[in-house]
Amino acid sequence: MNTQRVWFAFFIVLALTMNFSFFVGEIDNPDHHHPYEFFFALIVSLIATVLKIGDRSHVGAVLLATSLVADVQLIIGAVIWGYAAQNGTAIEPSVMASVVSLAGGAMVANIISVVLLLAETIQIKR
Amino acid sequence: MWLVLLELRAPLITLILAYAVSCFGLVLIPGETDTGELYHLSFLQAFYILSYTATTIGFGEIPYAFTDTQRLWMLVVIYSTVIAWLYAIGSVLTVFTDPEFRKLRRHQKTVSRVRSNRSPFWIVCGYGGAGSQLVRFLDTTAMRCVVIDAEKARVDSGRLTSLSYELDVLLGDATDPNMLVDAGVQHPLCQGVAVLTDSDQVNLTVATNAKILAPRVPVFARSASDSNTRNLRSFDTDVVVDVERTAARAIGQLIRRPKAYALYHELVDPDLNRIESLVIPDSGHWIVCASGRFAQLVIDVLRREEIAFVLVNTHQPDPASNIDWVEGLGTEASTLRKARISEASGIIAATTHDGDNLSILLTAKTENSHLVTVARRNRPASEPVFRHGGFSIVLREGRMLAQEMFARIQSPLLHQFLVQLDLMPEALVSGLIERLNRRLPRLDVELDHHVVELTESGAPAVVEMLDGNVAPRVGDLLVDPGIGHESLPAICLLLVRFNGDLVPFPGENLQLSYGDALLMWGEQGIKSRMDWLLGRHDVFLDVLEARSARAV
Repeated sequence: MNTQRVWFAFFIVLALTMNFSFFVGEIDNPDHHHPYEFFFALIVSLIATVLKIGDRSHVGAVLLATSLVADVQLIIGAVIWGYAAQNGTAIEPSVMASVVSLAGGAMVANIISVVLLLAETIQIKR
Repeated sequence: MWLVLLELRAPLITLILAYAVSCFGLVLIPGETDTGELYHLSFLQAFYILSYTATTIGFGEIPYAFTDTQRLWMLVVIYSTVIAWLYAIGSVLTVFTDPEFRKLRRHQKTVSRVRSNRSPFWIVCGYGGAGSQLVRFLDTTAMRCVVIDAEKARVDSGRLTSLSYELDVLLGDATDPNMLVDAGVQHPLCQGVAVLTDSDQVNLTVATNAKILAPRVPVFARSASDSNTRNLRSFDTDVVVDVERTAARAIGQLIRRPKAYALYHELVDPDLNRIESLVIPDSGHWIVCASGRFAQLVIDVLRREEIAFVLVNTHQPDPASNIDWVEGLGTEASTLRKARISEASGIIAATTHDGDNLSILLTAKTENSHLVTVARRNRPASEPVFRHGGFSIVLREGRMLAQEMFARIQSPLLHQFLVQLDLMPEALVSGLIERLNRRLPRLDVELDHHVVELTESGAPAVVEMLDGNVAPRVGDLLVDPGIGHESLPAICLLLVRFNGDLVPFPGENLQLSYGDALLMWGEQGIKSRMDWLLGRHDVFLDVLEARSARAV
């Protein structure tokens, strides 16, 4: 068993699960979406991106691309949230909805990532 | 670029983790407002504080002064993030300053430049005397080059040469097939590969590699031995130049047919634009100071041309060959006197050592000041002494090699003419030079040659007239399109018909036909005037009418 492969798969799957746990709940209800969940989803997504760098195979390139998409979606979400919640004002349901839908987009990218990972794993014949 | 990121994986993850932990801690730990109320930093505020702390900018404690718990955590934040930053920056610098990495980057940059090349180019392997000369010659005809050389110093000098474009130089072993591919041997615009290194083995390997990788690309190779020449020819290497043989042949030509020698060199050397013919005395023998293979080649040529000579050599030649031989190097006056220097008409100093050659010639000149002196220059670095030495002829092998190859690259017509020139008697050649001289305004003008092709693109006006009542003749092309229609200071050296028939020195009345190619030779700069004449229908018609009126 390869330790590097374990961490690789761990972070890719974790990025999806974190993303999902932030995403579930009513889309415009701030009580259902905690900022800490969002924070960890973003951090894990970033780490997954860095882990994917350096693989020159075709699947590796697509994996990296999906991760970058997820990062971009989450970072845009973070910026919107940070801007809307300035000076401690409560967040509007409409802003909450757009942040959550951005996170939903990132989740789609993460799902593709996991599917690719599974496809690649299944192909390995031993 | 990917290589850098791969190296930076660990520092990047460290940095992300350090930021994540610090940021999260700042958000969790409660602070106090001025009025003593508890509050939590938002992620935006935490990230902001973190950013200016980690980069050591330090804007202070905002929005309110920190509590001691917060300060305790800030200590952790400061040390962990600053160290993570230093680690990341250090890793980036290490990767970028790694000499292997820089070499690789430079190589990749050159390769991508070669790949995106939009103009035809040659690949030159070996950037020594011959290679640099060939690159320069090709530049005069707006042909680009890609150079491969294994020596760092030569590669650097290649990058610094002043050409009309930025020379692409690859540092590495030319025998490596990947290197040839990187240099663009399979590029559709690659015009050929010239292999000019000092080693026969390398030349052979590169030639075979190029032939296999890109069969359509012509390969020009240098050879230093007959067996290698045969070997190269055996797999259709397009041109093989044995430079010692070329030099020996040039010596024979110089002694027997100095005018042909002068014409040959004016045509093949882009730097030499004049006919500089020597007066070679008929009587008297030649002294040959040479050794090894070159001595043998010179002897063969001199015997074939029936030129009397004395060989000065440290080794006795085969007694059966009946050669007039004096033992010694030739650097001492006594040796030269034994070779009867006072009666000699010329001396050839062609050892493989430049110092010896200079010493031989200086000694010889003090013994007999009327001697024709032929010097062989081995190393390009010795050029200044040879140029100022006042010798009649300096044989530069690298340059000769470049000239031979350039003549073939430049136009097949020129090469065909040079083959003809080899067979021409001296009287015919001097008649030819005389014919041009009569047309020149002054005798000291600079000369040049170019090729005219009678096709729609090369000479549209002439092609249109070919089917007319008055068929154009060779003489009609050698007319100034300006007022008065004076004759252009040029002559036609060779006409090649569409079917391949050769007509050397066509008369002015020879009729032209479609597809003819003509090698024109004359004053520098006539090409543009001739092109104007050949391209303008009305101008050419004027000339034709004026000339036929004059003839009647």
